[in-house]
Amino acid sequence: MYIQKVRGILVEGNKSFGQISRDVIAPLDAKTPLWWYISASLAMGAILFGGWAIYTTITVGIGAWGVNNNVAWGYAIINFVWWIGIGHAGTAFSIFLLLMRQKWRTSINRAAEAMTVVAVVCAGLFPLLHMGRLWNAFFIFPYWNTRGPLWDNFNSPLFWDVVAISTYFMASAVFWYIGMIPDFATIRDTTASKIKKKVYGFFSFGWVGSAKGWLRFETASLLLGGLAAPLVVAVHSIVSMDFATSIMPGWHTTIFPPYFVVGAIFSGFGMVLTLMIIVRKVYKFQEYVTQSHLDAIARILTFISLIMATAYSTELFMAWYGGQEYEMFTFMKNRVTGEYTLAFWTMVTCNALIPQIFWFKKIRKNITIVFIASIFINIGMWFERYVIVVTSLSKDFLPSSWASYSPTAVEIGIFVGTLGIFLFGVLLFFRYIPMIAISEVKGILKKTSK
Amino acid sequence: MDQKLVISPKFKIAAFVMMGIGLIAFIYAFISHPGRGWANLLINNYYFIALAIGGTFYYAMQNITQAGWSVGFNRIPLAMANFFPVLFILMIPVMFGLHSLYHWSHPEAVAHDALLQHKAPFLNAPFFIIRFVIYFAVWIGLTQLLRKLSFKEDVEGGIRFFEKSEFLSKVYIFALALTASGAAFDWIMSIDAHWFSTIFALRNFVMGFYHALVIIFLVVLLLNKQGYFPFLNEDHMRDFTKYIFVLCIIWAYMWFAQYILIWYANLPEEAIYYMPRTKGEFTPLFYTELIVNWLVPFFLLLIGKILRSKNMLIVLMIILMLGQYVDVYMQVTVGTLHKLNIGFIEIGSFIGFIGLFAFVLMWSLSKKPLVSKNHPLLEESTHHHGH
Repeated sequence: MYIQKVRGILVEGNKSFGQISRDVIAPLDAKTPLWWYISASLAMGAILFGGWAIYTTITVGIGAWGVNNNVAWGYAIINFVWWIGIGHAGTAFSIFLLLMRQKWRTSINRAAEAMTVVAVVCAGLFPLLHMGRLWNAFFIFPYWNTRGPLWDNFNSPLFWDVVAISTYFMASAVFWYIGMIPDFATIRDTTASKIKKKVYGFFSFGWVGSAKGWLRFETASLLLGGLAAPLVVAVHSIVSMDFATSIMPGWHTTIFPPYFVVGAIFSGFGMVLTLMIIVRKVYKFQEYVTQSHLDAIARILTFISLIMATAYSTELFMAWYGGQEYEMFTFMKNRVTGEYTLAFWTMVTCNALIPQIFWFKKIRKNITIVFIASIFINIGMWFERYVIVVTSLSKDFLPSSWASYSPTAVEIGIFVGTLGIFLFGVLLFFRYIPMIAISEVKGILKKTSK
Repeated sequence: MDQKLVISPKFKIAAFVMMGIGLIAFIYAFISHPGRGWANLLINNYYFIALAIGGTFYYAMQNITQAGWSVGFNRIPLAMANFFPVLFILMIPVMFGLHSLYHWSHPEAVAHDALLQHKAPFLNAPFFIIRFVIYFAVWIGLTQLLRKLSFKEDVEGGIRFFEKSEFLSKVYIFALALTASGAAFDWIMSIDAHWFSTIFALRNFVMGFYHALVIIFLVVLLLNKQGYFPFLNEDHMRDFTKYIFVLCIIWAYMWFAQYILIWYANLPEEAIYYMPRTKGEFTPLFYTELIVNWLVPFFLLLIGKILRSKNMLIVLMIILMLGQYVDVYMQVTVGTLHKLNIGFIEIGSFIGFIGLFAFVLMWSLSKKPLVSKNHPLLEESTHHHGH
């Protein structure tokens, strides 16, 4: 059963099955538009800047960064956590909503998963560069080695991170790819170009769409979904433990694991919203990504934003309630007030206050406002990581070792570079992969369309 | 669909006998071991407060997510909202037992304790009582409004009440975030007055949510055995068990997050909380808590045979009910009595509370139709299949 009166229409325009295939594949067959080339060159410019920054980092060393003995984790870790957070969107979307039988997921999950894969690649770059000696990066993998009894520190959350993120990357990439197989077959069967037929034919693994094939396809998706759901939670919990297992004031707090997971999903959903609004506008997918879809995302964002607000206030309250002077100093003197007050209040405004406008249906219907709010969420979540990483490190227990932190051009360069990688990855996705899961939208068409 | 619940005389007798046992247990406790009496009053009160919070949160959640499958059973969490007024009355005596429960309520202890002096603006009896009244006022007010909307919908129909409930549910969840956290800090965490943990409220909230669902499912199964909820099918059961399965993992996640971070950092002011729990006579219970609430349901709910058997599920749900008791017991007793006591007082008072709240639940259910009539998504629930 699907009661349209309550749940809204998910596919507008009274589409037929064939029309859906044609609509979604159309941008892939069309001539590459000019704006695509412009954006791609912009992305390339950013990547070049990032390339220079990475080159400098490798040849000069971490000394090229603004980090110092105290604030040893600057931009690299902020951006790492930020990207990983965004990388949670795809899985949160596809997997949680798949397990919860949310039909509105179908028009958005493909793009969200694409985002995940690219964002995780961007994220992975930072810890790798942070090692300083990139050529020794393989040391983090546990294997029999000739360095005597030199092993990974299995007690270290940094090692857990490597394991969790690489597993997560593989699981989400596989999940994404498996979902695309029937759509690749559709392109193979409809395209006029011989090369495309060969390439998409290869990637569709000889999919014929038999009943057995579908049965296995759906079972595989469900199983992968069930396995990947705890992974999503695990990854960001472990990221939070990079901080929370220490005894730094502002870092060591027991709420960190769920708070990070929720924050990650929050930023991921924010980015999905930004991206989907652009996609539906540019590719005229308004009939597939409808008001109901954006409304649902906006409502989830309000709810998560309330959780974030609860976490912020719990932290502040506990900093006082716990009665430890260091904890109180960090929160009251170095976050709420003090040198970093601007970052703190940006974080609170963007994450806890601005999403509250989504309480009102009228505002949720105004796409421009929703778009702007989604950008604020992305900014707010970046500042959250900034506040966590920098404030605690800059002023710890010993005033003689207090230090300030500001990034150098090299650090900014790497960040800009990852933005370029992300943009370029998304552009490639726009160009070569159907942006909406054709087969899945067809699956819900009968009950949800008008 | 127009079924009304009829309370059988047998159930009434059983419930009153249980309440009688509880009353005797409390009278005996307050005469011979007042300390245990107070602790048990708090344990049982908080046990059902957590359930009422969890149950009503579940209802609010169903509204804001527009869940369809569960609509037919939503009168049960709505009936759990009626726990609040009863609990308010039962919590009033606790306000007279602060000295037996809370270290910070002794002025002479505060006078020699810098940390308690620091916390005094928050942890003092008058403010504590004001907060208690505010929490219950919010809970009772909002949940009764939600009940009213649902019953009005039965009579008048239309999508208007559904939309109103949805909005009110959002307000309720917002209010719960503050009040449920505050309640957990006040009534439970402040027992160990020096200790603190930011995840504490969340962990307790999840505990309540998890076990409220256990209770809801248990009531569904038991009533179904009596011939109510004829539309209950395997897909409903599958959804309930999935829900419980996920919540059991989330509960364990919260439990673990608190434990691992405190263990890892090993700061004395935090680790002290786990000392008596992991080393000493409470140790077996410490592990029982984890095993019963996580390990047992985690593995049993993976077995298809159990998921389809109503009888086995009923047994499992009852085990999980006990799991929450162990959880609350550990949180209250270690800090108040410092000694493991399980005897007539504990068992009798728990039985009494179960009798009382089983009666409150059934009485509330019997007053109105068991299944809401005009809910716009009702049909999704009565013809539910999980694909």
